[in-house]
Amino acid sequence: MKLKHVYHLYNRAGFGIGYEEAQELEKLTKKEVVDKLFEASKKIDYLDLDIKELKQEIRLIVQNTSGKREIRKQVASVLKENKGKLKELNKAWVERLQTTDAVLRERMTLFWANHFVCHDKNIIYFKRYQEVLRTNALGNFKDFVISISKEPSMQKYLNLRQNKKSSPNENFARELMELFTLGRDQLYTEKDIKEAAKAFTGWSHDLQGDFKLRNRQHDIGEKIFIGKKGNWDGEDIIEMITTHKECARFICKKLYTYFVNDKPNETHITEMIAVFYPSYDIEKVMKHIFLSSWFYQDENIGVKIKSPIDVLVGIGRTIPIAYQKPKELMYLQKLLGQVLLFPPNVAGWSGGQDWINANTLMLRLKLPALLLNQGVIALEEKRAFEDDFEKFNKKKNRNKRLHVEANWEAFEKIYSNKHRQYIQEMLLPQKLSSATQKHISSLTTTDLKSFCIQLMSIPEYQMC
Amino acid sequence: MKRRDFIKQTTLISGSLLVPQFLTALPTIVDKTNHKRLVIIQLSGGNDGLNTIIPYSNDIYYRERNGIAINANNMYKLTDEVGLHHKMPTHKELYDQGQLTIINNVGYPNPNRSHFRATDIWHSASDAKEYETTGWIGRWMQEQQKANTAAIEIDDSLSLLLKGETTSGLAVSNEKVLYRTASDPYFKSLLKQHTATHLSEHNLGYLYKTMVEATSSAQYIHETTKLKLANTSISYPKTIFGKQLSTIARFINSGLHTEVYYASLGGFDTHANQVARQQRLLKVYDEGIKTFVKDLKQQNTFKDTLIMVFSEFGRRVKQNAARGTDHGTANQVYLIGDNLKTKGLYNAMPDLRNLDHNGDLKYQIDFRSIYKNVLEEWLKMDSQLVLKGDFKGLTLV
Repeated sequence: MKLKHVYHLYNRAGFGIGYEEAQELEKLTKKEVVDKLFEASKKIDYLDLDIKELKQEIRLIVQNTSGKREIRKQVASVLKENKGKLKELNKAWVERLQTTDAVLRERMTLFWANHFVCHDKNIIYFKRYQEVLRTNALGNFKDFVISISKEPSMQKYLNLRQNKKSSPNENFARELMELFTLGRDQLYTEKDIKEAAKAFTGWSHDLQGDFKLRNRQHDIGEKIFIGKKGNWDGEDIIEMITTHKECARFICKKLYTYFVNDKPNETHITEMIAVFYPSYDIEKVMKHIFLSSWFYQDENIGVKIKSPIDVLVGIGRTIPIAYQKPKELMYLQKLLGQVLLFPPNVAGWSGGQDWINANTLMLRLKLPALLLNQGVIALEEKRAFEDDFEKFNKKKNRNKRLHVEANWEAFEKIYSNKHRQYIQEMLLPQKLSSATQKHISSLTTTDLKSFCIQLMSIPEYQMC
Repeated sequence: MKRRDFIKQTTLISGSLLVPQFLTALPTIVDKTNHKRLVIIQLSGGNDGLNTIIPYSNDIYYRERNGIAINANNMYKLTDEVGLHHKMPTHKELYDQGQLTIINNVGYPNPNRSHFRATDIWHSASDAKEYETTGWIGRWMQEQQKANTAAIEIDDSLSLLLKGETTSGLAVSNEKVLYRTASDPYFKSLLKQHTATHLSEHNLGYLYKTMVEATSSAQYIHETTKLKLANTSISYPKTIFGKQLSTIARFINSGLHTEVYYASLGGFDTHANQVARQQRLLKVYDEGIKTFVKDLKQQNTFKDTLIMVFSEFGRRVKQNAARGTDHGTANQVYLIGDNLKTKGLYNAMPDLRNLDHNGDLKYQIDFRSIYKNVLEEWLKMDSQLVLKGDFKGLTLV
């Protein structure tokens, strides 16, 4: 496999790959490389976050308190005290992305987190939800939809708990079809949403977060859903949706625009549907993409705009970065426009050019210097303008340094100045314009670190 | 060295470096600024209009909402039929002074009840079945060949509203961060190498184009707004919305050429326990507007500023079981300013006896009629260039 294609594959299916490893893979065939990629993602590792004590505390409340309302109240207050755990989970996720070998599973998890979009302040539930994403990331799509619909975080997020026989709440049913399975205004009508909402009445969970069907709230009556009459319940609805090829098309198109090219190619997508439908085997369709010849065509290399997390993690996988303050890491994500675990709305991040505006672009370009060269960033809006610039520059800015540590030693163990060409190929595998090449050859620095930072500060590095 | 002198000097020195050669390849942007400002505010999530401007003499209202209806004793009464939410004293004042227009029952045919689609429809001024990739403000910029600083969204990311075919507005949540980053010498030298060919490449071209624009816009905003900072004595509520409005006021009062501002206040998706939540949000909204209007009035810029407030949809007339409301259709639009042609209530309240098959309001005024009026009378341009279709004229501004 060509070195350039190894980089391309790992940029899209993972978060980049180092020169040494890529060189090893270069000796293998495409099939062998892709098999290795999937093999490494067989294992399922959940994020490390210790909530044992918190769970124990809640167990004790349940044991020692009488009255449901009082229990809920006390649990809520314990959870509120532990809201910092959400930041820890965010940090654990970013660190996982920076260090994992199971890159494909993590990449898929990131994809699905922006598909089954959800947010929950309840750390116990939200951790569970994350685990469902990781477990099903390369599994069966139909099972995935059913599992995710039973998660307490999702039920809360889309008001499924408020969906009762006496007065159905349509939020979940609508998003199930619009965002999760069929796409906006495909196949279904407003009437179908109402009928599906009825089928999901009574879907709920207990305090531990396990799924519970509240029979008294569940409408067992007849519903007509996309032309079919029956006493459908929620699982039936999901089952019926997936019998329609439109569902496979919706998912394949989304996978294609995420993994291959912003511009959908109908021929390639049709090919994918033939693999995906009706089995809904995610691993199979992903393998098909990475084994296809079209995935490696020049028109698909270096043409996608990296997400903020891709940029952040990509830098961190080249030069390991340790974040000492979870709060700073989150603020950085906020400025870049993508905070993991905090999607902007039910539809998630729209990606592509939407990541880019004047603010986010300039910060992205400056990011390598910020993280790797003790760059200064305005962490908080500072007071207007002091009169004495010297004083301003010295005192104020010192506080604005990020508390990050870049492990250059790890980098320097592998690379030396004679590897400059390799470093460039690794960081910028795409075909470069003559102007950009001219710019790179005009870089005069003899310091390898500076050279690396400068390459990462070119707009082409924002592409993958 | 004093900071001010330092900036002056570096600006002078870097002036020639700052403009890369290929900037000449961009269309010449002529900024024919009139001095009118339009501030667009979205109450995101779908504000429950019926509990904001309340039909307190309507029995159907109380019957359909017995758990969440606002008590007639707990509101500002505007007329014998219409009340204003009690957390909106500023709006009562504006109403009394003839600086508020309330347009009831605004919507469009075949309303969409998805937040995103409905927001896109309002932003793009499209029909329910049309999927536009540009916003009406973006198209206004395009048609009038405005610079990207002509429209600013106070946020980290840019909404469809401000996106045009090839020109877009700026998303600015913190102009100082923008400026500090954009004035890095490495980027300047990088841009010097580049030619116009880069701009034609799809995504990469977009990055380079954005980089060039960012650099010049950051400089312009910084140079213009920095002087006014010291003069602002008014303190805004310590909410995100308050901060957004304070930024807009600072920009307006500094004489920045920006003509359109957009900010949104989220959280109005009140599916459950609506009363307390909406109350909290309306308070944040009203208090923000209070300070904003006061600030503009003090600087004598209120007379040239029009504030337009909308929500992507209203909510269902009948409440749900969770003491909330589900996504609905038509809603109100509020206009705040000194030049309103129809003060107070523009039209009658919606007819609660005549609902659609979902139990939602049937709209009376197409939202694009409002855009049309604002485009023609406030932004002074031919609305046909921005809006598709023929919409009724209204007497608003």
